[in-house]
Amino acid sequence: MIEFQHVFKSYGRGRNILADINFRIEPGEFVFVSGPSGAGKSTLLKLIGGLEPPSRGAILVNGHRSDRMPARARPYLRRAIGVILQDVHLLYDRSAIQNVLLPLAVTGLAPAQAQSRARAALEKVGLSGKEDLNPIEMSGGEQQRLAIARAIVNRPSILIADEPTASLDDDSARRIMDVFRDFNRVGVTTLIASHDLALMASYARRTMRIEAGRFHDTTGAP
Amino acid sequence: MKRWLYQHRYAFAVALRRLLSQPFSSLCNILVISLSLAVPIVVAAVLDTARPVVQQIPVSAEVTLYLERNAPPDAARALADTLRTQHAQEIDAIEVIDREAALAELRRRPAWSEALAVLPENPLPDAVVVTLRQHPEIAATSERLSAQWQALDAVESVQVDSAWVQRLQAMLDFLRMGLWLLALGVAVVVLATVFNTVRLQALTQREEIAVARLVGATEAFVRRPFLYLGAVTGLISSALAVVASWVALQPLNSAIARLAASYGTQLALQLPDTVSLLLAGIVVAILGALSARWSVTRHTSF
Repeated sequence: MIEFQHVFKSYGRGRNILADINFRIEPGEFVFVSGPSGAGKSTLLKLIGGLEPPSRGAILVNGHRSDRMPARARPYLRRAIGVILQDVHLLYDRSAIQNVLLPLAVTGLAPAQAQSRARAALEKVGLSGKEDLNPIEMSGGEQQRLAIARAIVNRPSILIADEPTASLDDDSARRIMDVFRDFNRVGVTTLIASHDLALMASYARRTMRIEAGRFHDTTGAP
Repeated sequence: MKRWLYQHRYAFAVALRRLLSQPFSSLCNILVISLSLAVPIVVAAVLDTARPVVQQIPVSAEVTLYLERNAPPDAARALADTLRTQHAQEIDAIEVIDREAALAELRRRPAWSEALAVLPENPLPDAVVVTLRQHPEIAATSERLSAQWQALDAVESVQVDSAWVQRLQAMLDFLRMGLWLLALGVAVVVLATVFNTVRLQALTQREEIAVARLVGATEAFVRRPFLYLGAVTGLISSALAVVASWVALQPLNSAIARLAASYGTQLALQLPDTVSLLLAGIVVAILGALSARWSVTRHTSF
């Protein structure tokens, strides 16, 4: 469950990037966050992921006030949220499987168990057999799927992705969206920021629109 | 507990990987630290060897008064009684060495017996050995008394026997103080080198740190590989410093052995004992880890 209550976000004394945002997302929902570039979609996802604090208001994630959480507790909340940023942030000094192993090392999982879980995650996103490739040897779509494998390997209850299909061709974009839909079908709450209207029309069950920092409408909310 | 151990194992492996990923840079840092550490180890070896030698030499201030060879037989004892009465506050002990007893003592030594055998008469004078009481100004006191006693009628010459030993002792004390200052300087070298290494590593690993935080890494998890990096660098440097010191002592020992042989004795510089070296290695490793923690805390706040 994700809930925003009168959330504002600004940087320094600048204008509000987000102003008075209120919404609630139930567990297992599949939600698109739409809006033009610079509307505040990425900021909204960063607030949910605990990557940035709000300037005002309350944010509840899985029943916890993430905005009031002490800094040392925040990493544990992040482990429950799989984050895929617009820039995939893969590590190019190691293989694909080593990228996926990092979140498991963070939790201190036994190496043998971690290996099998990382292979399973790569298989789920269709990267079986590419475990030992360096991400730089992969296509844009494969890199995006590798980032998804890394985000889901710790079995998060929430998955958030910022423009995951932005630089991909239609075929690769659909494969990526299928992966997200599959995870949502097994109960993972999924939020995707995108301005691709065609994609949203095919996959969205609920769309939240942000424009100039304001929350305009929600469609398909339960 | 197992998860904690796995995290430490991972951090240690990451630290080793980072060390090995830039072998030349890592080797340079280790060499800088180890050569810095080798200097105080060699100085400590010199001091540890010199200390027992100096301690075996009597360090109390002794002034020997040699009487004129034609002085009456009981003049030495009379002089000793006079000195004991006049300088009771300054004198700790007085010993009269009879010239015949001194000759007999010399004859017992093989190196002297042949030379003395060809002499027609005893060349030695009677002597009075005065041991002064220890106090901070003893060097000045012995100088003053020896000048004063030189003027006495029956006295041919006066010799301050132990001034050089005291000067040597003072020099060793000075060197010991210098060793501590040197150790302090080396500690600063270790801190600065590890600090800079970790700073560069933190900048190089910026992306990895950001990703680790993204997937839920605690700050302890982010810092841990750097702490191991500092500690491992310190440990390897310490081990290398011991080897370098041992190598440096070999030519020094050859020279000292030749010098000692000319005095009919044996002397060799030895490394400090194993426990001290192990403790020093642990201290350097802890310094490395502390420096790494300081550096990583400063340079990963992004």
